[in-house]
Amino acid sequence: MQAKPYWNPYLAGTLLGLTLLATFLVAGQGLGASSLPKRTFAAAAAEVSPEWAANNTAIGAYVQDGEPLRNWMVIEVIAMFVGGFIGALSGGRFNVTVEKGPRISTRGRLLYALAGGTLMGWAAALARGCTSGQALSGGATLALGSWIFMMMVFAGGYALAYAVRRQWT
Amino acid sequence: MSEAIFPIVYQSEEFRLLTAIVLGFLFGFSLERAGFGNARKLVGQFYLQDMTVFKVMFTGILVAMAGLYSLATFGLVDLSMIWINPTFVWAQVVGGFVLGAGFIMSGLCPGTSVVSAASGRWDGVVTFLGVFLGIALFALTVDWLPGLSALYTDGSLGIITLPDLLKVPAPLFALIVVVIAVVAFVGAEKVERAFQQRRHPTELTPKPRPRIKFALGGIFALASLVAMTGTTPRPNPGPKPMTVIAPMTLAEAIIARHPDLVILDIRTASDPELPLIPGAARADSDSSAIRALSHAGPYSTVVVYDEEGTMTEAPESWPRGLDYRYLRGGFAAWESEVLTAIEMEGYDSERRAFVQRQNQIAAYFSGAGVDAAVAAAPPPPLPTGGAKAKKKKAGGC
Repeated sequence: MQAKPYWNPYLAGTLLGLTLLATFLVAGQGLGASSLPKRTFAAAAAEVSPEWAANNTAIGAYVQDGEPLRNWMVIEVIAMFVGGFIGALSGGRFNVTVEKGPRISTRGRLLYALAGGTLMGWAAALARGCTSGQALSGGATLALGSWIFMMMVFAGGYALAYAVRRQWT
Repeated sequence: MSEAIFPIVYQSEEFRLLTAIVLGFLFGFSLERAGFGNARKLVGQFYLQDMTVFKVMFTGILVAMAGLYSLATFGLVDLSMIWINPTFVWAQVVGGFVLGAGFIMSGLCPGTSVVSAASGRWDGVVTFLGVFLGIALFALTVDWLPGLSALYTDGSLGIITLPDLLKVPAPLFALIVVVIAVVAFVGAEKVERAFQQRRHPTELTPKPRPRIKFALGGIFALASLVAMTGTTPRPNPGPKPMTVIAPMTLAEAIIARHPDLVILDIRTASDPELPLIPGAARADSDSSAIRALSHAGPYSTVVVYDEEGTMTEAPESWPRGLDYRYLRGGFAAWESEVLTAIEMEGYDSERRAFVQRQNQIAAYFSGAGVDAAVAAAPPPPLPTGGAKAKKKKAGGC
């Protein structure tokens, strides 16, 4: 199936913004993404060593609640996967492949993806949220720390862009 | 009348959880339609060839921000009940930079890696696994690696927004953000075109359709402007609608000894022994209210309360330029929400922090008694509305 063109960015952004606004109004909080892996880790850690997990600075609060995975954002991220899947299918963009430039091997690209993902997971745990929970949701509430975070994300991206350009071009 | 109806309060947490299915779906779908399932499209942002990330993200932020703050101005949403990310300066500076570095390496952020994986991309799957590993790495080392837990917790400023920091009314600040963003959108279009001409455009970059883009951008900007200017204070006379303040927010401000806070009790003083909110001045007549307000600084927040929060407009005769708020639910809500401790059962960690804080505050105000609370946290110096008004200010307001 021929891939359909993407939506106009301002139109897609408006749908995104309305979704976020509705989230604030009906759920009292914003959208997130790194919550799912964080809570999954908390649940696993609580199985292995309940005491260690409950006293951990990063995940202790989730474990003390009893059920780390019984959470709004956990359900939201699973539904987000479904939304992305339906979007890709209906847009003719579902394709089992690896996105990379011609000058890098598939293995090299996947190593970059793993390293980048690990850095982001570490950073999201430190900053108490990622681009979804901090930059987007926190940005819309005008939270000071979320705007600091957002500016630093762009700074970090631009700082390293030249060094990793081989992946893409 | 103007009782805040948002955020919706559910009888059971299960109902709230159900909303995540629809909203999460829309989140993933809109990101996919924007092209965020594709790492090569996303990284165009960092090579200035495709500014879609900036455009989509900021349009989203603007729409949600304008909606949220407009509804708050009309008293339809109680911002104090909405989760606002607390600020931890150093964690967010370092975390933001490292996340940006990871973003350009993997070509995806944690949220878009979910959409990328859902689109069949292996790099999305691997990135998401990396995110899990990184979180595990942080949790495993945070209490062990010297300095990491300090980086995680130091520089805490609590819940603070940019308008709080700059002491600008929130709707005005939101309007400024809209204006800056529209200028930045125009700039982004220009940068994009310049860099697309310099390097040959990739097949992923959509054909530039500047007219449609500008038209849509312009319509949106205008709509936002109209929405926002409709809510910013206008200089024409007449009763001024007040914005709402939640009892808990007021309690926090009193405890924090907010320097520019004036509290007016406008209940009819049939009983002079009627308990007041600590620091409140009795203003049972218009003239005593104006007298109390004449001593307020130019950026003061004036919280007005009656028995049940029915007065939502400041009389025309009151001085302009002050940030007038009415206490949601009035003194009755102060008694039921601030002075009453609540059960901890059945709340998850995000809500639990609220509940814990609420119970501390209840103990602070009621446990120690109102008089003791006043002694513990002396409210800003206020004229007591009657006998003690020392200075005669010429002109009043």
